[in-house]
Amino acid sequence: MSVQFEGVVKRYGEATAVAGISFTVEAGTLVTLLGPSGCGKTTTLRMIAGLELPSEGRVVIAGRDVTTLGATQRDVSMVFQSYALFPHMNVLENVCYGLRRSGQSREDAARHAREGLLQVGLESYEERQPSELSGGQQQRVAVARALVLKPSVLLFDEPLSNLDARLRRQMREEIRELQQRLGLTVVYVTHDQQEAMAVSDRIIVMNAGRIEQQGSPRDLYERPATPFLARFMGESNPARGVLSRLDPATVRVRLGTCEIDVANATAADGNATVAIRPEAIAVERPADAAANSLAGTIAKASYLGTHMEYSIDTAAGVLFATCPHVDRPLAAGDPVALQLAPRGVIVVEG
Amino acid sequence: MISRAPLAWSAAGLLAAIALPWCALQEGLDSGAWLGGLWSSEDYASGLGQIVEHGKWWLAPTLLALAACLAAALLPATRQRRGTLLLIASTAGLLLFVAQALGIGLRGWTAAWLTTLFGELDGRQVGLGAGGAVVLVALLSLLSIGLALRGGFGGDAFVAGAVTTVASSIVLFTAWPILRILVQAFQDGDGLLAPALLVERLATEKIWSLRCLSGGGRCGVAWNTLFLALGCGAGTTALGLAFALIVTRTSFGFKKTLRVLTVLPIVTPPFVIGLALILVFGRSGLVNQFLEWSMGIQPTRWIYGFQGVFLAQLFAFTPVAFLVLIGVVEGVSPTLEEASQTLRADRWATFTTVSLPLMRPGLANAFLVGFIESIADFGNPIVLGGDYGVLSTEIYFAVVGAQLDYGRAASLALLLLVFALGAFFLQRRVVGTGSYATISGKGDSGLPTPLPDRARRAAACVALPWAAFTLMLYGFAFVGGLVKVWGRDYTPTLDHYAKAFAVEHTADGLIWTGAAWNSFWTTLKLAAIAAPLTAALGLIAAWLLVRQRFAGRATLEFATMLSFAVPGTVIGVAYVFAFNVPPIEITGTAMIIVLCFIFRNMPVGVRAGMAAMSQIDRSLDEASLTLRGRAPQTLFYVVLPLLRPAIVGALVYGFVRAVTTVSAVVFLVTAEYELATTYIILRVINGDYGLAIAYSCALIVLMLAVILLIQFAVGDRRLGRRAVALKGGRA
Repeated sequence: MSVQFEGVVKRYGEATAVAGISFTVEAGTLVTLLGPSGCGKTTTLRMIAGLELPSEGRVVIAGRDVTTLGATQRDVSMVFQSYALFPHMNVLENVCYGLRRSGQSREDAARHAREGLLQVGLESYEERQPSELSGGQQQRVAVARALVLKPSVLLFDEPLSNLDARLRRQMREEIRELQQRLGLTVVYVTHDQQEAMAVSDRIIVMNAGRIEQQGSPRDLYERPATPFLARFMGESNPARGVLSRLDPATVRVRLGTCEIDVANATAADGNATVAIRPEAIAVERPADAAANSLAGTIAKASYLGTHMEYSIDTAAGVLFATCPHVDRPLAAGDPVALQLAPRGVIVVEG
Repeated sequence: MISRAPLAWSAAGLLAAIALPWCALQEGLDSGAWLGGLWSSEDYASGLGQIVEHGKWWLAPTLLALAACLAAALLPATRQRRGTLLLIASTAGLLLFVAQALGIGLRGWTAAWLTTLFGELDGRQVGLGAGGAVVLVALLSLLSIGLALRGGFGGDAFVAGAVTTVASSIVLFTAWPILRILVQAFQDGDGLLAPALLVERLATEKIWSLRCLSGGGRCGVAWNTLFLALGCGAGTTALGLAFALIVTRTSFGFKKTLRVLTVLPIVTPPFVIGLALILVFGRSGLVNQFLEWSMGIQPTRWIYGFQGVFLAQLFAFTPVAFLVLIGVVEGVSPTLEEASQTLRADRWATFTTVSLPLMRPGLANAFLVGFIESIADFGNPIVLGGDYGVLSTEIYFAVVGAQLDYGRAASLALLLLVFALGAFFLQRRVVGTGSYATISGKGDSGLPTPLPDRARRAAACVALPWAAFTLMLYGFAFVGGLVKVWGRDYTPTLDHYAKAFAVEHTADGLIWTGAAWNSFWTTLKLAAIAAPLTAALGLIAAWLLVRQRFAGRATLEFATMLSFAVPGTVIGVAYVFAFNVPPIEITGTAMIIVLCFIFRNMPVGVRAGMAAMSQIDRSLDEASLTLRGRAPQTLFYVVLPLLRPAIVGALVYGFVRAVTTVSAVVFLVTAEYELATTYIILRVINGDYGLAIAYSCALIVLMLAVILLIQFAVGDRRLGRRAVALKGGRA
């Protein structure tokens, strides 16, 4: 294992930014710290980097206790949100910087830096100033600069937040591809759950300075452990339902007039909070509806090209649903019948 | 690196305790005479020699603590444990060092209670010398290494060392001298504490009388100082605002000329304006002569007194207010004004309800600067004050004049300090720490709104005649040095320059026979030594304050701000009190003048550095740190190259202020180390205006040349909203 946090706490005066977290990042994997702004994910990343030292707890990197060591003494490097390219140096000098500081000769540093630039496809940009590069190119320089030091852990702090949507998808695929090709250990911070799901082996979701849940992207999306997580990982509608257990692996959820059998081994009978994914709600005209449906009325309808979005008043509350049938749009005021797919109805415990 | 550093420092400390004279030498280190007496001579003996041969047992515990540090460095231990050991040993060493330095002076124990506690002491010691200083530095370094090893200061020994250096030097050369004033103010002539004496010294008519208001007689110096400072603060703020508005918000054609006006007072010794006023309004000045010639009115000494000093200070400090306010006016976001205009407000309403309120913190700041400049001013009151005494001149006469009353000087300095700090705290209360007219990193593409007509006319009516008058005064000051005797004989002559700067070419080479050369070279030399040190210390302090988070950061920032508010006169007196007795005995040396320059001017370097540094994204530093660049390398390769303009500014300022300052150094100069400004002041007091003016002009030209040279070498600084592009940033 490459990075290990044991009961780490970070306080700034009275305020607690990170309230006692423990986790492990296995070597060769990409782990994402995900959470809303102010949840402590960036502070956690900076504690891995050594830019902040923990108030309590232990940090171990590559088997070495580095709790009191500063950034320079740790074998990590970091790609910053703002890229932090040195504006008074050209691309090659930027990539050489860390190599020179580690004591390499000018020639060795330049050779390794060129290899690094080749990795990110910027071999012909050596002489450019950072200000002459596009956002995506600056990003790649920042990655190359961190990569050439061959750190035990590579850190990314919201690396895509300054890019436009199209470039964002491309860059995240490049980062993932690079990580898998070189077998890097990467810790990645983002507040964008889609980005997190696309790049990660594992995701650690943080909220208010604590770890809310950790696991694979699929675990978190399909089995969120808390209402916060159900809201945060993808969209979901909170609703109150009544549970009754059918067998050890299945529980029946009654929502207004319909009943859905959901895979669940632990929930107790009685009232419970359920989360309903918008894509699991099939919106149909009452005439077409099969039995066991939930009646409602369209409150708002919007056309988004690939799909329709509806807000629907029902007995179980206002539900938000997405519907792929753009050729058969419904308008506000239309009565509808909703079919709920069991896979998108999640019983939230705790 | 970190494992070797404690070893190196403790070894260096011990070596200095063995091989360098512990005490200060009369003749200085470079004579080499001490080499033979390191053991046997009491004057020259090293620390160890003093203990073994000369019975100074009180030095032993400090050296033992140093030896303990060496042991801690050599013994195998974990990081944490080694740090703890170093911390304990070096702290003990420092405490013991300070205790013996303060407790034992020229005549044994320095306080009666120490004698009663420990009995008579037959030993004595003079000021600290090279050996003692190196041991002190070594102990401080070991303390910072100990802290860093225990994870303090981000585990970085360089940062820890820098914090320790800055903090201890501020304590030693700003806080300690000011503390000495407090002590001195409470002491009687024999050095005994007598709190009642302070009351007695301060509660006199001469300080607090208010008779000038009722018409009969003069007011006390405290009121004089206050009235002058309030008038100067208000006047300079109003004038400065008028100038700032004209330059930034109108299409006025001579903006460049106005900008020059802001450079002039920076390169001018503060009393030059006073001199020029005398040339125009003095008894034999132009106005009086004209009145006598045309209407037969007897010449008067009208200019001497409140009105003269007030005028001179207005002229001298308005440009400073302008400099403060131009930043403020430029900082008001055009977008806000455009927003106001789209909300149905006309230009005048926008100006009065949006722009002016946004400038309020800046106005308060400018007022504070004018106020503090005024109470700290020494040159103008002494040249133009006449009977109108203010605190700074009173202090001078108490120390230098026939009275020679240190207690009174200290009490007055205390009063002056209270005024300055009072203004400082009042300003902070009124404005708060927040300023809402800041340049943000967000793109701000709006255009500044032109000034409404009413405001434009008012500003122009005030500012333009004033600017013309200022230029005229400088013109007269320049011409004054080129005529025989102003007021009597206007024959053009270069005599004054010749008298000051004559150079004779003889068989032995050049001989500098002019009267001014001695003070001129001393000034240049000391200023050239002080400027780089001022800039370095100021920028390092700024870097620590902006970039590092450590316990006591807020206190350190407050301390540097505070020393900015301390008037020069107070610093000067404080240095005299603090450094003419052991443990630091440097009165009368060049060192005390250089130290005074550094700690007088450093706060400005700190502010400039902080302003420049907060425009550079912090993630650049952090990137360097995660790329294996240690703190000193980060500072050297990343921060400093991006700070070029600030470095140049700090260097220029450090040099120029050292050359032009009067108030602080007037107490510190000696016949051997005479400075240009103090020499000129003496010439003025003796009525030798020609030479004084010629010398001042030479200084101004020199300063301008230095500034232009540096400007030329570095190139113009690109200012404007685009310059903020460096700022990216983490939320």
